[in-house]
Amino acid sequence: MDFVVVGSGASGGILARELSTAGFSVVVLEQGPYRRAGDFTHDELGIFLNYEYFGGWPGPDPQTFRSSAEAVATVPEGGPPAFYARTVGGSSSHFSGNFWRLRPVDFKERSLLGEMSGTGFADWPVSYEELEPYYTKVDWEIGVSGAPGPFDPPRSKPYPLPPMPNKSAGVILERGARKLGLHAQVAPVAILSQPYRGRAPCIHCGFCLGFGCEMGAKSSTLATMIPEAEATGRCEIRPLSTVCRLETDATGRVDEVVYRNGAGIEQAQKARAVIVAANGAETPRLLLMSASTRFPDGLANSSGRVGRNLMFNSHGDTLGSFPHPLNEYKGIQCTRIIHDFYETDLERGFYGGGGIDARPLLGATPIMYAQTGLPPDAPRWGSGFKKALRHHFSHNVTLASLGTSVPLDSNNITLDPQLKDRYGRSAVRVTYHDHPDDMALARFLQSKAEAILDAAGAEKIWSHPVHPQSSGVHLLGTCRMGDDPATSVVDRHHRSHDVRNLFICDGSSMVSSGRGQPTMTIMALAFRAAEHIGRFARNGEI
Amino acid sequence: MATGTTRRRLLATTASIAGASWLGLHWPTLQSVAEAAQVVRSTGAAFAQLSAADGADIEAITARIIPTDDTPGAREAGVVWFIDQALGGYLADRSEELQTGLVTFNAAAGKRFAALSEAEQDQFLATQDQTPFFEFVHTLTLIGMFAMPSYGGNRDLIGWQLIGFEHRHAWTPPFGFYDTPGNENE
Repeated sequence: MDFVVVGSGASGGILARELSTAGFSVVVLEQGPYRRAGDFTHDELGIFLNYEYFGGWPGPDPQTFRSSAEAVATVPEGGPPAFYARTVGGSSSHFSGNFWRLRPVDFKERSLLGEMSGTGFADWPVSYEELEPYYTKVDWEIGVSGAPGPFDPPRSKPYPLPPMPNKSAGVILERGARKLGLHAQVAPVAILSQPYRGRAPCIHCGFCLGFGCEMGAKSSTLATMIPEAEATGRCEIRPLSTVCRLETDATGRVDEVVYRNGAGIEQAQKARAVIVAANGAETPRLLLMSASTRFPDGLANSSGRVGRNLMFNSHGDTLGSFPHPLNEYKGIQCTRIIHDFYETDLERGFYGGGGIDARPLLGATPIMYAQTGLPPDAPRWGSGFKKALRHHFSHNVTLASLGTSVPLDSNNITLDPQLKDRYGRSAVRVTYHDHPDDMALARFLQSKAEAILDAAGAEKIWSHPVHPQSSGVHLLGTCRMGDDPATSVVDRHHRSHDVRNLFICDGSSMVSSGRGQPTMTIMALAFRAAEHIGRFARNGEI
Repeated sequence: MATGTTRRRLLATTASIAGASWLGLHWPTLQSVAEAAQVVRSTGAAFAQLSAADGADIEAITARIIPTDDTPGAREAGVVWFIDQALGGYLADRSEELQTGLVTFNAAAGKRFAALSEAEQDQFLATQDQTPFFEFVHTLTLIGMFAMPSYGGNRDLIGWQLIGFEHRHAWTPPFGFYDTPGNENE
């Protein structure tokens, strides 16, 4: 076996396809089941509230959370603090498909702005220009619908597919932006607006956020890369395969991957090289679980950076209701975005920037709407409650503010010292508290969102208070790339500094968080990593 | 109770939604969920988990949270049947919490909640609506009102019709008022 890839998500699916089509043999170990398009339902209770794609909550592999190293970590009642989908295709199966690229500034902000003491604020070892061909590759290989906007970074090719039809929320955002001198632009999405490469286009069912796509119109790796990898005859997707540790030989090379199969029986898979693409929580967990005499602090962790600098992306919501129905439950989540506040402006008094988009967010589906969609002054029961329930579902829009997270050593993934999963593996322990600048940014963007809704003619506007986040779906930064082995886990080609035949590529590779919507960048990194890893393999450099 | 006219209208709408489910051919799972919804018709049947008296109290609370007025409420949507089904399923480990909560709740009311008049119920509920027990029933009411009917509530899609949600699987633009051509500046 040439490669074992741990994880079949946004990056693992691409690495499997690129390396198998390049002639290498690949086994992909995916802990979740092999759900296919026909297995996906609109069961909001099962999928959203009972965490079907996570295997239930707390379920067989729970997690703990604490807000600081001084606090005692506990299993949260509400759901996983590091939430992702355990299924072939990973979280690309249940994402909303918002596919902004990062901009040049995201890769070199430390050089532009200077040091932020007490943080892990740093430049990337790669530039936007270096990654641009791979962003374009994502656009064309998986299918991205969109149109250029006024603040977009340079692109070498146009979008392969025209934009999705605009929704009422997008019209509202355009209206508010116009009145304030801002610029609402088409939201690029990894969802097909037209037939593409044998796949059917989106039929606007409305179940994007958190749900698998029964049409295969959402450009997950399940719908795009994985079938092509399997078609080579050189790639085996092995679902229900839970990796327990990476074993190293006497020379310090990884020589086998130990995992449990669907029956819980321990198995081992040998390979010339291992690529860990298990996401920003599971990747550091696996490296830390693979500690040995030779690597006492965990595999590939001589820098001590494995699991550190976890970034969720800053987040805030502002809701508004309008006189006429928007029916945001129909169609995709997001058709227009505002990137006027993308850049850091230190005059604001804090680091960071972000985007504002218009969409239903949790209001796309009835139960989540009923629990989160009413204004704070609405009655909580009785005829007034019923009246509010009846009005707001069709008349609401949410402006979601998404932005930077400051990388901090104190925000991290570690192994829980007590809690074990069904196989005796140490549970993921999330320690997280937003940096004050992240929260200031969220409030700043909310104030802009309120102004936009007001200018657009909202009848009622309310913002959800910004609290420190206790869970995330963007799991970034925990095995950062860098040129210096003392301060990073992988090099610019995603090879671990410490173990020559161990590569790591997923959200954990990101040095900064971007401004939200990281999957596009994770996929671009995966295409680029696959090219380099394939070259190393051909040249005997692994 | 819903009036005869309302009931007929709801049934007619339900039928038209079922008729639109040709797309279900492409989604076997959705189809089977829709079929399951058609067999949940247990009015008059006994609860599987709740006692009759506890069920009556829980139903009465749900009916004050989403009352019946000119349109059906939580009672007609069968929310208590969802709760009963969930207590035998995914909420089995919280069954005792609900039952002991109800005992405390009724004790504070002085008699069983279902035995109070609606005005008395509202008056008492106003003293209880910050309690964990009320929060629990409130959450269950929303889930039972708006989850797929296969879970036992949302009968005749009463919950979805209340808020204007149509589960059609496929839509074409325009989706709302503002994206309808000509309305961009309305």
